[in-house]
Amino acid sequence: MSTSVSSRTFLPERDTRQRLIKWIVALLVPVMVFTIWSGESIINAVISPGTASGNVPTDFPSLVQAAIFTAIFYVAVIALAGYLVAADSGRRGMLELWVDVLVFALVPLVLVIFFGLIIGLALCAIVWPVYFLIRNQVRKALNYTAPSPLEGLKLLDAEQRVLVMERAIAGGFWFGLAFAVVSLIVDLVFFISGSLTTTLLIWAIVRTILLPIAGYFLGRLSGWIALRRTLPARDSSNGNSQSSTNGIGNGRSKRRRLEVLSTSRAKEEVKDLVPNDLPLRSAGAQRFYLIILVAFVLFYPLIDPFLFGFGTDGRLAGYGDAGYYVILALGLNIVVGFAGLLDLGYVAFFAIGSYAWGILGSTQLTNVLNLAPVNPHLLSWLFWPMLLGGALIAAFWGVLLGAPTLRLRGDYLAIVTLGFGEIVPIVFLELDKYSNGPNGIVGVQSPAFFGLQWSVITPTPYYYLILALIAITIFANFRLRDSRLGRAWIAIREDEIAASSSGINLVNTKLFAFGAGAFFSGIAGAYHAAKLGGVSPDNFNFTDSVVFLAMVVIGGIGSIPGVIVGALSVYAVNLFILAQLDTLAADPTNFMFTVKNSIIHVIPGFTFGNIRNLVFGIILVVIMIFRPEGLIPSARRRRELRHAEDEGPGGDVLDVVPGAPGFETEVRVE
Amino acid sequence: MSAKPVGLVGEPVEPVSSALLDLSKVTKHFGGLAAVQDVDLQVNPTEIVSIIGPNGAGKTTVFNLITGIYRATSGDVRLEGRSLVGLSPDQVVKRGITRTFQNIRLFNNMTVLENVLVGLHTQLKANVLGSLFHTPAVLREEIDARKRAIDLLSFFGSELVVRQEEYVINLSYAEKRRVEIARALAAKPKLLLLDEPTAGMNEAETLEAVKYVRRLRDELGLTILLIEHKLAVTMGISDRIAVLDYGRKIAEGLPEEVRRDERVIEAYLGKPSTRGEIAQVDEKATE
Amino acid sequence: MSLFLQELVVGLATGSIYALIALGYTMVYGIIELINFAHGDIFMIGTMISVTILSALGITAESHPTGFTLIGVMVAACLGSMLLCAILGVVIERIAYRPLRNAPRLAPLISAIGVSLILQDVGKLWKGINFISFPQIFPKTSYHLGPAGNGVDISSVYILVIIVAVALMIGLQFMVTRTRIGRAMRAVAQDREAAALMGVNVDQIITVTFFIGASLAGAAGFIYGLQYGSTIFSIGFTLGLFAFTAAVLGGIGNLVGAMLGGVLIGIIEALASLIPDSTAPASHGFGLPHGGAAWHEAIIFAVLILILVFRPSGLLGSQTPEKV
Repeated sequence: MSTSVSSRTFLPERDTRQRLIKWIVALLVPVMVFTIWSGESIINAVISPGTASGNVPTDFPSLVQAAIFTAIFYVAVIALAGYLVAADSGRRGMLELWVDVLVFALVPLVLVIFFGLIIGLALCAIVWPVYFLIRNQVRKALNYTAPSPLEGLKLLDAEQRVLVMERAIAGGFWFGLAFAVVSLIVDLVFFISGSLTTTLLIWAIVRTILLPIAGYFLGRLSGWIALRRTLPARDSSNGNSQSSTNGIGNGRSKRRRLEVLSTSRAKEEVKDLVPNDLPLRSAGAQRFYLIILVAFVLFYPLIDPFLFGFGTDGRLAGYGDAGYYVILALGLNIVVGFAGLLDLGYVAFFAIGSYAWGILGSTQLTNVLNLAPVNPHLLSWLFWPMLLGGALIAAFWGVLLGAPTLRLRGDYLAIVTLGFGEIVPIVFLELDKYSNGPNGIVGVQSPAFFGLQWSVITPTPYYYLILALIAITIFANFRLRDSRLGRAWIAIREDEIAASSSGINLVNTKLFAFGAGAFFSGIAGAYHAAKLGGVSPDNFNFTDSVVFLAMVVIGGIGSIPGVIVGALSVYAVNLFILAQLDTLAADPTNFMFTVKNSIIHVIPGFTFGNIRNLVFGIILVVIMIFRPEGLIPSARRRRELRHAEDEGPGGDVLDVVPGAPGFETEVRVE
Repeated sequence: MSAKPVGLVGEPVEPVSSALLDLSKVTKHFGGLAAVQDVDLQVNPTEIVSIIGPNGAGKTTVFNLITGIYRATSGDVRLEGRSLVGLSPDQVVKRGITRTFQNIRLFNNMTVLENVLVGLHTQLKANVLGSLFHTPAVLREEIDARKRAIDLLSFFGSELVVRQEEYVINLSYAEKRRVEIARALAAKPKLLLLDEPTAGMNEAETLEAVKYVRRLRDELGLTILLIEHKLAVTMGISDRIAVLDYGRKIAEGLPEEVRRDERVIEAYLGKPSTRGEIAQVDEKATE
Repeated sequence: MSLFLQELVVGLATGSIYALIALGYTMVYGIIELINFAHGDIFMIGTMISVTILSALGITAESHPTGFTLIGVMVAACLGSMLLCAILGVVIERIAYRPLRNAPRLAPLISAIGVSLILQDVGKLWKGINFISFPQIFPKTSYHLGPAGNGVDISSVYILVIIVAVALMIGLQFMVTRTRIGRAMRAVAQDREAAALMGVNVDQIITVTFFIGASLAGAAGFIYGLQYGSTIFSIGFTLGLFAFTAAVLGGIGNLVGAMLGGVLIGIIEALASLIPDSTAPASHGFGLPHGGAAWHEAIIFAVLILILVFRPSGLLGSQTPEKV
């Protein structure tokens, strides 16, 4: 890589040109849409705060944060452009890619702009499967077969590696330039029509110079990232330079290792390498998506006014609520997904966690013990240790209530957990001396933090709290899954007898799963009690357990990103969309109004809220029949389910009805 | 693939009897049925002992009794003098006995490497907190565990090592067998139980299997108790053979002795009179 | 004492209803090893069908049909409910369970939960969210047993309920043990593959099983309405679970067990209301807060858990070592 600004950057050769056009167009369109929608207004507000519209915060800290967000976003996008150009193997066509980007980036963006974040994404959930169906039909009709991933796997010599780097630089540079030019044109139009101040015009011109330069350097960065994922053709005899340029190691041996793997397994590995047929899906690109996503989520309270205008607080409160569903889904995923223990009573631990903080964090405990009430401020600080304390209490009960299920198999385990899931809320309801019965506990304290005053009506601190809690939970889940304990869980889920015969203590491992799952529901419970400001027994019933299970199942059992998506989707459908439809239908000018009325003629008493369970039930049945591995399945699970279908009654040989003759062995674990 | 033993044999502590495994009058009733009745068997260190017998004779039940999947109705099972009765399978593993299964029970949707890593479960000490925070000790342990797993796989040659990332479900039957044995070896057993290790294999694969079973004893110093149906294998590989029929031990001894034992022949082929009839029918059929 | 016996009678009547529903659970579980979560909601739909049929026949809460009209109306409602529920059961099996016959256990279970949710909302949409009154057309005369001032009152409705339930159970028992189809059902329940090899059309038998089980739930729906006088979309789930407990208590897969279990659960529920209220001064702290009646659900679930943990084969199931 001796050339820095080589002539090839400014006059790319044909192959590179093709890739440039392909990717720059693909990326530029959605990015421009986003920029015109709000990206521009964010940075404009930073540059000249006076032009910002009404409810946008214009104090200095906010502006700094807004600037940071914009910087991160556009840096990531430009670097992504460079990476994609460099990583592309060139074997897939332009048009195909553009249609994909249209459907997966542009359409969601447009839907979100028009319908808001949640409904927009929900509509995507309808659009995407339809697109897949259509695409599959078209492919079948054209007798199209996707090229084998291993064919495209090339070992790169030094010259080809230089080419990769050059492509990356070219990608970054040209994307930056194209983006700058288009934005400049747009801004000029605005300026001429009078809606742009001179300051901003000057900024536009500056930007047009800065962006391509930034693109050049970001391209180098992406090139470096891409090169790390290539397979060098050299032997490892070139010791040092090897390790500095490539994290994968000797290319030939890696390639050989890939070749001996079965096709399905090889596909999994190959999709992360460079050059790649589908660089959009590669792990390298996913890093950029993650950066953008994290930036978006972190800075969301700030940029929401730019994106959606008024109503930020309401939306934030909603997201804060969606957040604890994510934690619940992740916790249940440990029990159901990792360890394979079907828990239909998860709501019990959620209730325990909620009441733990509810009782301690309000006047309830002091009332019961006949003590003088504690200073509310002090109580607020108690929240933080109680997050852990409530989680531990819930974990303790998880172990206790899980113990009776240890000898039971599948269905029966589910029923026992269901039983507990019903009993616990009844206990809270009836022991009203401690729990204040059906009225629940009110006046639960919100947590306190340095300088920030929290209450049930300030959603922003809660939003960040739940983000932090979610981050911790995700982190813990990944660590657990990939540990000795995680392996033990998967082993007992696959085959208990083999697991036990390999030295895994079934009792302890299962109890640990229950405990760990309950631990996280305890965290969610404490958060829930604080945010709601109260606890009441009718927050917890069997339908909730079903909802939690549905989140895990619909999202993808055992898959961490899957259950997160599942939680958000289920929340969206269950608690949001249908309620929204009712609100919309209340407005006589809305098209929903007519729809609802015509339905009411046939079915009196119809409201969209009423059919929540109906919609939910249908989704459950449909998903079980057509996509039992969930929306974003873990690779493992997809194989399990597909294989089970092919094999027929081979898999579950241990699941025999009590009383019927056993198949291979019966196990009594004492 | 080195010739030196990889040190899998544990040092017996104060052996009470010289036998490694000692079954005395082991009996197992299922309801009214006696699956195993008064079986005595001793296995000495570094011996290869086979249990043979017609189908349904109770051989796998004996294995299950040793490894704790069943609990003996009466009688005793001792390893190095300490009783195993009433222990759960994982406790038996910790005492030093691992096994393979008649119908290969691997964790199908895990990779080869992961299967062996599960086998190392008892050898690892990582706890939840350590795993969560990736303490240096745990990280070290995981690296060492992977090295150890690859070592174990390399006992069978380089093939499984190269395919370590493959999901077990995509392997051939013979390869799966080897992974199952590697997993069993991971727990550093003193005694290895192999339940029909050559079942379903053709001649070449069977020869291969016989070779590595011998190597398990010769190179790794293991004691092996195996159930086998192929008499050629049993005769060739065993130091001693025990014969079960209808849950009882009907013969025991050196391979040549057992082969000629009248009771054994009867168990497999029927009484002399029946054998004669069968021979007559055969003759008629070939006329 | 008389209070005890009184509750016993009530329990017997309620238990008969549970028994009918439990039969559906146990039959389906015995044949395809699926806990049909939707079964309780089929029962609920049955109650609504019965109400609808009655009102279609012009019977309202004020009507007092007698004689043949009464019998005719009741038979129409009961049979109608049975038939329509049976069809519903078959449809559900076809759509939601059959495609999942070879899928891992979790899939049909969740599908069943989904169907349960769907049926609940169907009930909600059909009859609204409030209690619906069921015309109490059967003349409620109370017979008194035992000495006056003591002894028990037995309402004629209870007697009817018990008679109908017992009649249906006897009919079912006859069918299962004496007819060809019944034999086929038992064969499929024991060993599906072997039955298929013997020429049994397994799909058809499974359909028949659902048909019969659901029809019993429909009948249960009708007599439930007669006894309690009202229904609502949400009764299906809880009563369904009670009936499932009954099936497990008696031994899942065992028909007589389901009947026995049903009666026992009914009696346990009734007797639970005798537990004093520990918060009331008169009880001196014994009993449960707010009395046993408030806890009856928890008590029944506790019974379920205890059976599953200590004797999963139930009272009449065969005692085999537990499967882990």
